[in-house]
Amino acid sequence: MKFTKINRNYYGYFFIAPFIIAFLIFGLYPLYNTLSLSLTDYTLMTRKGEYIGLQNFTVLFADQLFLKALGNTWLIWLLNFIPQIGVALLLSAWFTNNRLKIKGVGIWRAIFYLPNLLIPVVIAALFNSFFSFYGPINQFLVRVGYQVEAVHYLQNVEITRAVVIFIQWWMWFGQTIIIVMAGMTSIPVHLYEAAMVDGASAAQMFRRITLPLLKPILIFIFVTSLVGGMQMFDIPYLLTDGRGAPSNSIMTNNILMYMKFASSRGHIGAASAVAVLTFIMTTICALGIFFVLRDKDDTVSSKPKRSWFTKKSETK
Amino acid sequence: MINNYKFNTSLIRFFVYIVLIFLLILIVVPIWILLVNATRSTVEIQQGLSLLPSTHLVDNYNVLQNRGLNMVRGFTNSFYLAAVSTLVTVYFSMLTAYGIVVYNFKGRQTFSNFILVLVMIPTQLTIIGFFQYMSRLGLTDNYAALILPLIANAGGVFFSKQYFESMLIQDLIDAARIDGASELKIFHSIMLPLAVPGAVTLGIFAFVGSWNNFFTPFILITSVEKYTLPMLVRSLRGDVYRTEYGAIYLGLAMTVVPVIIMYAIFSRYIVSGIAMGAVKE
Repeated sequence: MKFTKINRNYYGYFFIAPFIIAFLIFGLYPLYNTLSLSLTDYTLMTRKGEYIGLQNFTVLFADQLFLKALGNTWLIWLLNFIPQIGVALLLSAWFTNNRLKIKGVGIWRAIFYLPNLLIPVVIAALFNSFFSFYGPINQFLVRVGYQVEAVHYLQNVEITRAVVIFIQWWMWFGQTIIIVMAGMTSIPVHLYEAAMVDGASAAQMFRRITLPLLKPILIFIFVTSLVGGMQMFDIPYLLTDGRGAPSNSIMTNNILMYMKFASSRGHIGAASAVAVLTFIMTTICALGIFFVLRDKDDTVSSKPKRSWFTKKSETK
Repeated sequence: MINNYKFNTSLIRFFVYIVLIFLLILIVVPIWILLVNATRSTVEIQQGLSLLPSTHLVDNYNVLQNRGLNMVRGFTNSFYLAAVSTLVTVYFSMLTAYGIVVYNFKGRQTFSNFILVLVMIPTQLTIIGFFQYMSRLGLTDNYAALILPLIANAGGVFFSKQYFESMLIQDLIDAARIDGASELKIFHSIMLPLAVPGAVTLGIFAFVGSWNNFFTPFILITSVEKYTLPMLVRSLRGDVYRTEYGAIYLGLAMTVVPVIIMYAIFSRYIVSGIAMGAVKE
């Protein structure tokens, strides 16, 4: 029996083999290919490229548009992430509060999550119609007397950027609530009872018990949201003209990459350079934050079970 | 003192409901206006805002169809692509995750950490290299280029691993082994059926992920007959429909309604699924 069991562990390799093969072919090689294309002047027109070293990268760093795209991507992500996590923490605290006893928590959560399931491109097109010159926002504001006449909202830099940020927040806060709540309900109740006996206030309990124990989940949300945010494309691409208008206010890394790719000659060498820089930046930030913050966390003894986070002890 | 405490609680509760209703309006009103405007004529839409449906649904549909945009074909394409993507994702994610959870092979922990790292890496950014590689293989404008990479779907494996770890399965496997079942058979005829709730949840996410995906097909698919719904939505923004607001709203609504219906049926699976695996597309 013991003999067969040892042998059978090798079956694990057969089970993970398809994944590894597909990863090598469709994951790792394209990554390598993107990297090597970024060192060439390959275009779709010529279908070949010469090795030009780091020239694509030096050109990019001298390009105001790239720096602008980089800044925009970070700004749009940060300004949607902060209210997203804020609203999620607040609503989760309310939903899990025993004293408030909010009714229909499941239904509220389900409704707040709905926008996340809609096609992002559709949402962008929808908000484009809403904010257009003849759109409902103008109609409403003129009718209630807030505006004298209709305004071209999507020609205004700040408003357009705010619309993108709002859409991102609108699409993602429901999901964040669900994850944060799952984390909160997994915190052992006896911790709060002990704190209450010691006379802690609700605010103290939130700061000293809830937040530290939620840290793994908050880091997870932070990292996955960052990775998504740095690749933002659909919403800013379809909200306006697909070139970051007005005045490049919603130009993001991926839109810039696409523009180089879809330019008349198809500069995929230059497009790859944008991808490589964004990739390196995002990966360093995401993995750095994840691993640095994770290890400091070991002092908390009774933390919630999160097997994706704590190294799981070997099961027998 | 006690009264004061109770009063405070109900005051806070009142405030909480106000906030919730405000958020509810923020969510529902845009979607509602979309659905209502799909039934209103372009003239009505330009004249003013209304929260009540009108009678021009069929007219809008005719305009939508007569200007060269084949929504039905887009629908079929998207559905086909999403269905195959779902099957591939669910099967191979479960297969890989099962291998990690059940077998204690050398390098298991490393592989498992590797999956986690893959979840946190912006894989969409390799699309340019992927495109050039696929065009060398002659696989651009082919759904295979969208489906085959899903065999190695890190998010799906991550979720399935959480799921298998939450099922206590070792005893069942041992029993099946004593009965002489092969390892692959144990997976196919015992474990996969047991994991159906998890598979459904993962499947919904895989389906929605494919249904909503714009960027990858947009880069890889070139012929109009193979356009998916999100790609058609982009065409809706083009010149042909510039002033046909009713038709535009209808086109958008047509992509949204099936998702809302599906969500109404499966929301329980979906909400519990996010809490469990945090699959982010």
